Parts: sequence; C-alpha cells; structure tokens
Amino acid sequence: MAESYILLVEDNPDDAFLATRIIGKVCPEKVLLARDGEEAIELLHRMTQDQSYKQIRLVLLDLKLPKISGLEVLQAIRSSDELRFLFVVVLTSSDNDLDQERCWELGVLDYIFKPMAAERLQSVLLRCGRG
Amino acid sequence: MQEPPADRRGQGALPRGMGGIALLYVEDEADARSMVAKMIAMNYPGLAIYSAENGAAGLRMYAEHVPDIVMTDINMPVMDGIRMSREIRNLNPDARIIAVTAHSDTSYLLSAIEIGIHNYVLKPLNYQELFSVMDKVLEEIVLKRLVEEQNRRISESERQLSAAQRIAHLGSWQRHLPSGEMQWSDEMFRICGVEPGALPSTYLSFLELFLPEDREKIEEAMRDALAVEKPQTHHFCRVLRPDGSVRMVRIEAELLPDQKGRAESVVGTCHDVTELKEAEEQVRSLTEGLERRVVQRTSLLQTTVSELESFSYFVSHDLRAPVARLEGFCRALIEDCGVCGNPSCRQYAERSEGVVRQIKLIMDAFSSLTHYARCALAIQEVDLSAVARNVAEHLGHEEPGRKVEFIIAGGIRVQGDATLLRTAMEHLLGNAWKFTSKRERGVIEFGRMEKEGATAFFVRDNGAGFNMKYADKLFKPFQTIHTPGEYPGGTGIGLAMVHSIVLRHGGRIWAEGEVDRGATFIFTLEQNPESGSYLKEG
Repeated sequence: MAESYILLVEDNPDDAFLATRIIGKVCPEKVLLARDGEEAIELLHRMTQDQSYKQIRLVLLDLKLPKISGLEVLQAIRSSDELRFLFVVVLTSSDNDLDQERCWELGVLDYIFKPMAAERLQSVLLRCGRG
Repeated sequence: MQEPPADRRGQGALPRGMGGIALLYVEDEADARSMVAKMIAMNYPGLAIYSAENGAAGLRMYAEHVPDIVMTDINMPVMDGIRMSREIRNLNPDARIIAVTAHSDTSYLLSAIEIGIHNYVLKPLNYQELFSVMDKVLEEIVLKRLVEEQNRRISESERQLSAAQRIAHLGSWQRHLPSGEMQWSDEMFRICGVEPGALPSTYLSFLELFLPEDREKIEEAMRDALAVEKPQTHHFCRVLRPDGSVRMVRIEAELLPDQKGRAESVVGTCHDVTELKEAEEQVRSLTEGLERRVVQRTSLLQTTVSELESFSYFVSHDLRAPVARLEGFCRALIEDCGVCGNPSCRQYAERSEGVVRQIKLIMDAFSSLTHYARCALAIQEVDLSAVARNVAEHLGHEEPGRKVEFIIAGGIRVQGDATLLRTAMEHLLGNAWKFTSKRERGVIEFGRMEKEGATAFFVRDNGAGFNMKYADKLFKPFQTIHTPGEYPGGTGIGLAMVHSIVLRHGGRIWAEGEVDRGATFIFTLEQNPESGSYLKEG
C-alpha cells in the first residue's frame, strides 16, 4: 500500500513544529509542509499531475498566509475536479466571522482556533484517521 | 329771611369725593350769622363751616383755615367786606368769594369787580338764590380739583415714562409725515449722545444720526411701517455720537393714523442695545470656543479610544498566537521529559505551563475590561432593587449554609444598560458576600443616599473591610489587598469591571471601609447616560 500524507499549510515554523508533533502522536501519515499558499498550490498541482494527490488523507490549512491566503487555497481545491473531495481542516487564529462562514460554505471538516488547537486537533485527526 | 324750600334738603350735599371743602361766613349780625350757617350746614353736610363777626376776624380765620369759599357781608364794623376780600385776594388770588349785599351802586360794583368777587347774593337773603350760587361755586371747585388731579396724573406718568425710557435705554419718536417734523423723547436724545432738545427735530437730522451705510435701513423701516399688510419688523442700526462712539440701536416703527384714519404719522422706538449686543457677541464667541474645544477633545478622545482599540486587538489576537505556541511547547516539554529523570526539569515545565495559564487569564481579563469600555450601551429603565434582590437570591442558593441578611431598599430605578448594571451589581454584592464569609451573621445592604446634592447608591457589608490607605488600589485590575488564600475565588478584575461600567454610565465609584468593620461601596450614575459606544460606527 502506498504511503499517505497529511498536507500542513502553515507559515509559522513553531506552529508547524507543534502541529507536526501532535500529528505524529496520533497518525502514521507523513506530513508534507507548505509554508505559504503559493507553495501549497504548486505542490497540489504537481501531485495532481502525478496522481499522488490521492494519497493525501487530510489538508490542515492556516488562513493567514503569505502570498496566497488559506481561503484562496481552499477555493482552488474546491474548484479543481481532482482535488474537490479532499478533507480540509482550517487551523486559524482569525476570529473573523466572514472567513469562518466562507470556509463552512466551501466545505471544511472543522474550523479550529489556534489557542485551543491541541486537543481538538487530536480528536479531528483521530476521527479522520479511522475513515 | 324766608324759610328754605323743602325740596332743597339733601340735594345740596357735596359732590362725591369732595370732602375737605371749607367755607368761611363773615356776618356782623349774630342772629343772621348763626341762622344762615345752620341752614348751609344742613344743606351741605360735610362742608366745614367757619364764621366770623367782622372783616378783621374773618381775615384771621381765613389765614388760619384757608377755606375754599368765603361768603361775606359788606357793611361791617372794624373791617368791611370789601377790604377783607381785597386782603384775602392778596393772600390767594384763587379764593372764591361770594358777597352778600344790599348794595347795587356803582362804586360797590367797581370795587367788587376789581377785587374779583364774581358771585353775589342780594339781601334780604333768598335761600334758593344762595344755594344756586353755592352749587355753582362748588361745581367750579370740583372741576378745578379734577383738572388738577388729571394734570398731576399726567405729569406723574410722563415722569415715569421718562424714567422708564432712561432705565431701559429706550427712546421714542414720532414723525409727522406731511411736515417732516419729528418729536423725540429725552432718552432718544441721550441715546444719540446729545442733551434733550439739542438737535433740530426733523426727519433729516434724525437720518443723519445714523452711520451713512445704515440710513437705508431707517428708510426701509419707514416704508415697512407704511405698508400696513407687512408684518412688523425691526432693524439694527448704528448711531454715531458726536464724541465719535458708535451705539447699536434697534429701531421699530409703526404707522399711527390720525382720527380720520389717514396715514399722518409714524411712531417708533429706538432701543440702545449696544451692551446687549456685546454680551450676545461674547456669548457667541464663548460658545464657539467651547464648541471648538469639544470638537478637539472629542477627536483626541476618539484617537485615544482607537489606539486603545488597536492595543486591545493586539493583546487579544496578536499575542494569543505566540502564547498558544508557548503553551504548546510547555505541554510538549511536560510530555516528553517524563523519561529524562531530572525531577527539576518536569517541575519547571509544569510551572512554566502555570505561568502561561496566568498570562492567558490576564489576557482574558483585559479583553473583558476593554469590552466594558467599548461595548454599545442600550439605555433603558433598570430596577436596581429588583436586580439586587435577584442577585442576593442566587448567592443564597449557591451557599445555602450561610447566614446573611440582605437589606435591599425598594423602588430604586435608574436609566442604564440592564446587562452591564446587572454585572456591576453581581460583583458588588458578590464581593460583599465573599468578605462577610467569616462573619457569624453577615449583613449586606443596598440602598440610596444623598451625596453632595446628588443621588448615590451604596452596597454596604459588615465583613472584613479594608484599610483606607489601600482605597485607591481597590478598583485597579489584579490588585488585591488581602493576603493570598484568605478569601479565595475571584478574577482580580471584578471591581475594575464595576469601575468601567459605572464610568460608562457617567458616574463615579469609591469605597469607604475599616479593617474588620465592613466596607461601603458608593456609586453615582448619570441621570441620562448616552446610548451607543465611544467608537465611530463602521
């Protein structure tokens, strides 16, 4: 069976480290890190071409990102024929209601505020790890 | 002498209001004197009657009483009637003299005319004739007195009018249209800075009193007065005084038709409003200055508020992410150092996590505090008594074992934000509840008092109290004045929030207390606090 991935889109290295650590504790998947929206879209594009996108179990997406925002990445995923069914969880420190509403509209598995990330992230990971 | 006609009786009474008229009757013949005097007294009740037996006695009597009427015989010993009359005339040219005489010769008549005896009654005395002469003379006196009284009134009201004009700086004038002649009141002259009567009273000299550029307004006032259908208006014009000073006057003019309704004259007033105008100008400039300052301060305040806004955004958002990261690392440390074997390592990690929790508490407290400073108020009537009773009930339910007596004054209604005021009451009563916990029997009171002429509200307890030297610290966040652990619970910002809420309601809060003898928290509220928020909408 081919290796599966969790795509983490996060610009802050500390947050990326902590998230990777939590993922590592509950999931066997390999973490792919994209440090801004552009990098995420490029990576997803390449993975679409070589079909490896099918191995992505989950996308953990920060909203506030350099260059291309998390919301735009989410829009790109939802408008792509191949990627539209990917599980996406938003990890954010933004309490902007419009952002949240838009994310739920586009379809996300969960919307997690960063200060309380750890436990909730673990439970989300466990849920989709079983799926 | 004949009997008086019966119908005369009672008709010769003095005219109404003519008390104090006196008559001197001079007659040498004693019987006639007393008889006639009696007859006059009967017919003219109220008339004072003096009598004398000759001219000399009559003159003395006259000098003493100055009667209005002298009725005298002519032929008398010592001094005759003619001489006495002459003397009396010298004393008082207006004296009214009635001669009772049998004389009809020329020399008598000439003397009588010369002296000014206008009335006479022929001897032998005919009462009808006497009374008709008396009536005529009395009527003259009454008329004279009436005229005098009217003149006195007119001159009195003229005096008053003139004083009133002087006091009010209100001059008046009247312009006769066909001739161009004008009449000015004395005050009108004074307003123009000249002595009364010092200027020719013509319309032209009137116009010339005013600054050339204001003369058109006077003409306009005159035209308006003539156009009856136009509503009455006033004009402010400037008078140039001979000394060069300028007075601001308010001119009003009105048509004064003559008795046939023709437009003959225009009357008007000229009110010196220089001082009034100056005061008005002062008030305006003060108001403008004040408004400018309010605008300036408001914008300063707005700047401060928006700085506070971005600062609190920084605390509640930007700071949260690094703090969350720190928390994450602490957790990671605690989880991973289980194997390290050094007990200090784990302890430090746990204590660091504790510190992070404190930081998060402070950030939360800060957010709630800034919330009370920023949130919009919805002002309505709030029954604070009812709120207090409700809060007291909740406190009792939470700790049913405590013995606390609540004394809550009824009917305390204020204008304010119901949610915020409830929060404030919860903290104040909760505080009192907490600090009476070591009392056998707690007493907590909520009521209203008068403080420096304004209504204040208070929450008083018989609890731990505090030292007044720490009174300033009470309302500052995270400042505690009790030893840690002595009264556990509480966020450390309860009173700071109450302070914020009271401030938002335009009030003041302070506390009075003594260690071990309870505390009283006193606050005021603006009667009509402003709704909404300090922050600009949008």
